[in-house]
Amino acid sequence: MRILVAVKYVPDTDEIQIDETTGTMVREGIPGIINPLDLYAVEEGLRLKERWGGEIVVLSMGPPKAEEALREALSMGADRAVLLTDRRFAGSDTWATAHTLSKAVRKLGYFDLILCGERATDGETGQVGPELGAMLDLPVITYVSQIEDLHPPHGGKRGWICCRRLTEEGYQRIGAPLPALLTVVKEINEPRLPTFQGKSRARRAEIQRLSLEDLALSAQETGLRGSPTRVVEIFYPSLVRDTVVVAEPPEKSVERIVDFLQKHELI
Amino acid sequence: MRFNRVTAEVIERLKEIVGEDYVLTSPEELEKYSIDEIEERYCSLPEAVVKPRTPEEIAAIMKLANEYKIPVTPRGAGTGLSGGAVPVYGGIVLSLERMNEILEIDLDNMMVTVEPGVVLADMMRAVEAHGLFYPVDVSTLESCHVGGNVAENAGGARAVKYGITGHWVYGLEMVTPTGEIVRLGGKRIKDVTGYNLVQLVVGSEGTLGIITKITFRLTVKPKYALDLLTPFESLEDAVAQVLGLLRKESSLSAIEFMDSLSIKAVEKYLNLVLPYDDCEAHLLVQVDGMEEEGVWQAAERVYEKLTAAGAKEVFVADNRLTREKIWRARRNIAEALKALHNYVSVEDIVVPRSEIPEIIRRLRRLSRTHDIEVPLYGHIGDGNLHPTPVSGDRDEETWFRDLDAFLSDMFKAVKELGGNITAEHGIGMKRRKYLPLCAGKAEIALMKAIKKAWDPNGILNPGKVFPVEGMCSS
Repeated sequence: MRILVAVKYVPDTDEIQIDETTGTMVREGIPGIINPLDLYAVEEGLRLKERWGGEIVVLSMGPPKAEEALREALSMGADRAVLLTDRRFAGSDTWATAHTLSKAVRKLGYFDLILCGERATDGETGQVGPELGAMLDLPVITYVSQIEDLHPPHGGKRGWICCRRLTEEGYQRIGAPLPALLTVVKEINEPRLPTFQGKSRARRAEIQRLSLEDLALSAQETGLRGSPTRVVEIFYPSLVRDTVVVAEPPEKSVERIVDFLQKHELI
Repeated sequence: MRFNRVTAEVIERLKEIVGEDYVLTSPEELEKYSIDEIEERYCSLPEAVVKPRTPEEIAAIMKLANEYKIPVTPRGAGTGLSGGAVPVYGGIVLSLERMNEILEIDLDNMMVTVEPGVVLADMMRAVEAHGLFYPVDVSTLESCHVGGNVAENAGGARAVKYGITGHWVYGLEMVTPTGEIVRLGGKRIKDVTGYNLVQLVVGSEGTLGIITKITFRLTVKPKYALDLLTPFESLEDAVAQVLGLLRKESSLSAIEFMDSLSIKAVEKYLNLVLPYDDCEAHLLVQVDGMEEEGVWQAAERVYEKLTAAGAKEVFVADNRLTREKIWRARRNIAEALKALHNYVSVEDIVVPRSEIPEIIRRLRRLSRTHDIEVPLYGHIGDGNLHPTPVSGDRDEETWFRDLDAFLSDMFKAVKELGGNITAEHGIGMKRRKYLPLCAGKAEIALMKAIKKAWDPNGILNPGKVFPVEGMCSS
């Protein structure tokens, strides 16, 4: 099995600050970290490799510092890492990011499976994974909470994967031929801690860097120029709470509350 | 001890001092101030709670309390483990929660001055934003108040390299039990002018004064830290190796351990899985320093040593996510044991660290002879262990009888090895009957004389530290 895991380098903070004039996130002075939800994708890839053998390639797009996210994945046991880094990639929205990543995936060769986290903790869109799948023309299964069954390709026969995915109402079992792209949720596993040896190896590992030219992209297709998304305005939604205090004897109060709920068709 | 009740007249006068909103008397409010993190059976209701904002208000409250002979119990965040904030004789609980400002970060002198109600982690983050570092890492750092840290002389995980709270306290403003405002120490690294009253107040468990301002010394923030989590089949092997490391490495800032009973409990409580959780012990070693390369080299040497000593694996955390995962487990053991058992007693013994293997052997033996399960975790680097006997299916009466027998034996063993009965939680109300086991008559008399001189009416936090006459445990 050849597995690609896409990871993102995100600001390491619980409080995202938005620059209201540019509409982009304030990243200066905030240390970065691998997107916590991507660890589940890395872990699932490692478990598949332990079961079926093969290779795990981790891929990221970002500033040179994003190497740190890739090294964390390497320290957990990924085999090699590729970073798409180029000033002209800066400002990419989800479409341009997925487009750039898709070029890189094609360049890196055939993968049986592509794994992504559910979403990044900074942008919170959850779009890049599915968009990447669509651009590569792969079947996409989102919110996977368990891989129930997997048959790698064998003797010219196409592989097959069957997953349980989390939906708002419960779980859904869904199958797809390989190659496919999955986005995984927290429930799927418990990411391992890196070992000291893994970390030492990852510190010395060479990370392949690819630029705009390496991907044979034009500057119009990526970065801010290649991004159709425009942030028109940023504001905090105002929340209005009309609190009614009922301070009458209990029987009377209950009656008032029942009336209120009925009036608003809540019971 | 004879004290008077809080009368309506006293309530009125308290309201005149701090304002009506800051005197609480309703039963629901009083209940919240009847206990800290000590076991529930020690709870005791106050008659009134006051929340002053200034040292002058506190001075007026103390004068009033002396006039009426009413006990006053100061309180921080209520995270203490020995009942220091429990109003044993009722009276007034004086909560410092409103005095919560960081007053000054003095970069030139590398000192921070704060009010006692500041949350420890808030102060740490505030100074770290300036590249400075307050290193005392208490498990409850996200909720405990620095005033309580000073009153109890809190220790925490990094004592092995950075010492305990008292090492960082340079100045105090305090209201004495008789209601005088005094300023002790200051931003002076050297100062031998008179008796060192600062360090007398540190760790006095709220019995010698009410701290209203603290000046802490700071150090430079280490730029790089690595945490190594290491499962061992044999706890004794692990401990022996680590003690050898301390002679060679100056960069070790924490050496913690948790036994398998503690790990199983915390896994259940936090719903997480730690690797090799069936091993007898997990060590948690922190290495820190200013240079990434140097820290890695030190970690490499620690790794070699741990591996040679039979470590099953060495896991490493170098970022917030993985570090949080490891430390969250370590910090939640006491909570986990409390949640999973009817009765527990979080103990806090300390021995010279060379005696750790021996005290562990003896604890194991005592656990067997008393038939009490005793999860064990704590700070190997400084000799401070937290054996936490748990009740199992004993009923209340049997439990407290059996616990008392176990504790007496444990404290005797501790004493034989040159140790003591509390390292960082304090005597409080929990251990006062055991004080004579480890302190002689003359020593206790000296302490009592100090208390008497500072607090002639004995109204500040009575029922703590000193054994009640005739209540001495053999």
